[in-house]
Parts: sequence; C-alpha cells; structure tokens
Amino acid sequence: MTIVTGKTGARGRLRPLLRKIWEHRADYAYVLPAIAVMLIVIAYPIYYTIELSFFNTPPGLQLRDKIFVGFGNYTSILTSPVFWKVTSNTLIWTLASTFIAFVLGFASALALHRDFIGRGVLRAILIIPWVISAVAASYIWKWIYHSDFGIIGAVLVGLGLADRPPNFIDSVSTVLPSLIVVNIWREFPFAMIMMMAGLQTVPDQLLRAAKVDGANAWQRFWHVTFPHLRNVSTVTILLLAVANFNSFIIPWIMTGGGPSNASHIWITHIYELAFGRQRWGVASAYSVLLFLILMTLGYFYVRALSGNERKDGSA
Amino acid sequence: MSTIAETARRGQARRRASIDGWRWGGRIFLVFMLLYTALPMIWMLITSIKSGFAAMQFPPQWWPDQPTLASYQKLLDPQNSVGQDFLRFFWNSLFVSTATTILSVIVAVPAAYAFSRFTFPGRNFLFFAVLLRNMFPAVIFLVPLFILMRAIGLVNTHGSLILTYLTFGLPLAIWLLKGFYDNIPVQLEQAARIDGATRFQAFILIVMPLSTPGIIATAIYSFIGAWNEYIYAYTFLSKNEQLTLPVGIQRFFSENTTDFPGLMAASFMMSVPVVVLFLVLQRYFVRALTEGAVKH
Repeated sequence: MTIVTGKTGARGRLRPLLRKIWEHRADYAYVLPAIAVMLIVIAYPIYYTIELSFFNTPPGLQLRDKIFVGFGNYTSILTSPVFWKVTSNTLIWTLASTFIAFVLGFASALALHRDFIGRGVLRAILIIPWVISAVAASYIWKWIYHSDFGIIGAVLVGLGLADRPPNFIDSVSTVLPSLIVVNIWREFPFAMIMMMAGLQTVPDQLLRAAKVDGANAWQRFWHVTFPHLRNVSTVTILLLAVANFNSFIIPWIMTGGGPSNASHIWITHIYELAFGRQRWGVASAYSVLLFLILMTLGYFYVRALSGNERKDGSA
Repeated sequence: MSTIAETARRGQARRRASIDGWRWGGRIFLVFMLLYTALPMIWMLITSIKSGFAAMQFPPQWWPDQPTLASYQKLLDPQNSVGQDFLRFFWNSLFVSTATTILSVIVAVPAAYAFSRFTFPGRNFLFFAVLLRNMFPAVIFLVPLFILMRAIGLVNTHGSLILTYLTFGLPLAIWLLKGFYDNIPVQLEQAARIDGATRFQAFILIVMPLSTPGIIATAIYSFIGAWNEYIYAYTFLSKNEQLTLPVGIQRFFSENTTDFPGLMAASFMMSVPVVVLFLVLQRYFVRALTEGAVKH
C-alpha cells in the first residue's frame, strides 16, 4: 500500500502478489534463518560502509566525532599515486593467478581423467595444497624463498645459476611473481576438482562416436569435450577471479605489502588503511569502489549461473 | 588392395603415435605438477625434524644429520608455555570450526530445500542475494562488523567468529544442496505423503537420507573454511587464550622469527586435521560438486 500509482491496474497486480506471498507464508520459514544471518552480517555492513565513506573519522573508532567530507575521500584516493600502483598490482595478481591456476587445474583434470595405477593417490596429493591453511602455506613458502637459507636459492647457487641466493620476496621486481606462484600452488586444485566434476558429465557415447568418425584427440577435445565444459569453466574462472581479487592472507603474511608497496593489492591496502593507519573513512571509500567493481563481476557470475538454471528448467 | 591396406595401417599407426604423444605429454605434466605440489610440503616436513641450528645452514642439509622430534615435543607438551598455548589454540580452532559446521548444516538444509522445492515470490531474488555473498571480500565487512560485534558485546568471544563464519559457508552450502535436492524426484516425497507422512516427515525420512553426501560435502567445506580462517580471527580476538590456530601461530612466530623448525612443525600439525578429514571424505565432495554444481 505504500506504492501509490493511482491506477487500478497496479493495485490489481499487487493484490494477487500479496495473496500469493500470504499463501506461501510457510515456505519463508525455511529460508528465514539463512536470510536473517545474511541481513545482519551483510546488509548492515554494506549500509554502514557506504555511510562511513563520506566522513572523515578520527582514529580509535570514536565514530561520534566524524566529520562529513562529501566525496573528499574518493577524490583523494583517485588522485594518489599509491592507488594506481596498488590497482596495477591487483590486476596482475588477479589475471595471472586466475589464468594460470585454471589452465594448470584443467590440464591436471584432463590428465587424471584416464584411469591408471595410482590415480587416486596422485589426485589426493594434488588437492592437499587447497585444503591446508593459507597461513601455513605462506610460512612454508616464506621459508622456501628465504634469502639466506631458502632451498630455491641454494639450488640455484648449487647449479651455478646464481652467485648468491636471490632475494625473492625482498626485491621489488620479483616479489609479485613469487607470491603469484604461491597463490597458484594453493588454487589450481580447486580448478582441478571443478573440471574433474565437469568432465564426468561429458557423455562417453559422443566421444566414442567422434572417434569412430575419425576425429583425433585434439578434435575430440575441442569439438566434444570443451563445449560441454563451457558452463563449468565460466563458473570456475569467475569464482577463481573473485577469490583472487579478494585475497589477503598470502601477501599479508609473506610481505605485508612490501617492499615499497610492490606487493600491496587492494585488500591488503584497505586493511592497512583501516586497521593500521585508522583512516576508516578512506578505507570505506575504497571498499565502496571495490564493491562497485565486484558488482560488475557479480553480474556476470549470476548470468553464468542463471544460464545453468534456464537449461535446468527446460530439461 | 595391398596399398589400401597399407595406408589404413599406416594411418592407424600414426593415430596411435599421436595418442601416445598426448598420453606422454599428460604423464610428464602430472610429474611436474606432483613435484610442484609435493616438494614444498616435503621440505616443510624435513625442516620440522631439524634442530634450529641445522636449519640455519648454507648450503642447507638436504636430510638432517641428526633428525629430531624436539619441535613436535615442544608443541605438544602441556608442561611448557609453548605447548600450553599451542594446545589451547588447537582446542579453540576445533570448537569454533565444529560449532560453525553444525550450525551451517542446520541453517543451509531447510533453505536449500525451500529454494529447490517451493515457488514462493522472491525466490530467485533471495537465492541470488545469498549467492552474491560469495563475491565480497572479508575486508569490506570487517570495520562495520567489528563495530556491530562491539555493540552487541561479542568482541573477544568465539561467538563473533562463529556468526561470521556461518555466512561464508552458507552460499556455497545452499548452492550445493539445492543442486542435490533438484535431483531427488519430487514423486518420492509425494508417495510418502500419500501414505500419510507430513511434509516434515517426508523431508526427514526421504529427502535427508538421500542428500547425505551433499550434507557431508557442505560440512567439510564449512569446517575447512572455519579452521583456516585468519582475517576475522586476527581482528576480532585480542586475548591470547582465545586465539585460533592461524592467528596464534602467526602471533607466536612474529616474536620468535628464527625458529623455523618449530614454525614448520606447527604448520604441519595445523594442516593434519583438515587434510585427513578431506582425504577421508573427498569422494563425497567431488560427488556433491558433480551432482550439485555441475550437472544441471
């Protein structure tokens, strides 16, 4: 009744909707707990972040003393050189991690699709990095990259490829690629599991028919297997991209964003602004920008998922 | 005649050669992936059985001269302070993860069932709203959640973590379970209801048992997510006796920066529960992904 359109048509449409909602009132009980948790932990924070992004806040979270600054936080972000450095880092990090993790995961899934002795064991070993904590992974690799006692440096020196162990994560030029290697190590198993699941849905008859028709291995893959995996590939790539865009632990624990911002990505930068330098307003404005970017990605995510839904409905 | 047979045979041979080429390529690739995956973990294990002195050598000892379990003994000994802390962190992680897992199954099962079976207005909107949660990084929610938790008095309690972790697990859990319920024929429930079962009974007696693999997959996912979570635990908890493992280990080793054997032993022990859990139950997980997420 809050929507007054002045037309009986709108009211005529509203009535059945309300009646329908009333008839289905019991159904809502099933989703209510999930929705309630989501509202508290999601809707309220989003509202609060948007509000805070227009204010200048004193340190210490004494939020009563905040000062309205309009779009001041946004202009100061977009004009700062750190913003562009961090953005290019984030792009390199997200694109490289997503692409390489997907290719390695997909290739592993294909190579593991045929049955051979030890396949189950191999598959289990390849999945382990995805299961262990990112904190543990960060420490393991930090030790591997260690500039004095790291194993990679020692191997390079032993093979005569370097005079002294390189500083993988203390040097501006190598830090980002080194962290990406760690990230891919943790993430390719996810792509592998998803694509293994996808491969099981490719009908064997089609592959056999293609073989009878004389298609070679590559043609069978390209014309039969791959089209069947398009949906699952899209979902996997999007989930990987979102996860990479949102990563925090690996750069935070391994380098803290250093040296001189060379491994800062958006999330670590926002965290440092908020909890390190206590600049809540600027950090919130950053979050809102991030939010807008993710909404764009989310649009494609939902479209990819509802593509599945539609096919489901017609089947 | 013979030339035709000849060409056919040659063609077959060529095809076999190319298939072998792919197969060998696959094997070499898998060996590479195995090395990439396993070598860091092996190096972690080897380092964890060195003494602190043996670890700090250049060139490194590939295998320790005197292997020792001292790091593990130190971490598991309730008599000294390091062991006390480690065991307490371990217990905290176990409590938070288990509580999160149980709650998320309780919340996700009815929601997924409703999304799969009922056609109430706003169903699609609510479903995608739930899925969208996946899109947003922890950091966006950190400041407002911290203030919210402070307002309702949950800062420095495990409750703040459990409530937050619940929302990570829920989107994927609901998505996976919905796919499962979609694949269970409605006729099964209808038959049960004709036989006099209520909707609730039909759900408990027919649908729940059939969706057990999905529920197990959901539970694994929630448990692993909660066990490994770092950023909220790092922000919400400040008292030493409440820390979970990832934060506890990080805090401990930022004070003892050179104890790499201890750090590797702690990393190993932190990984054992989730790896074992996953390896034991992984077939449910892969199956749930196949049936729930992929096959539509």
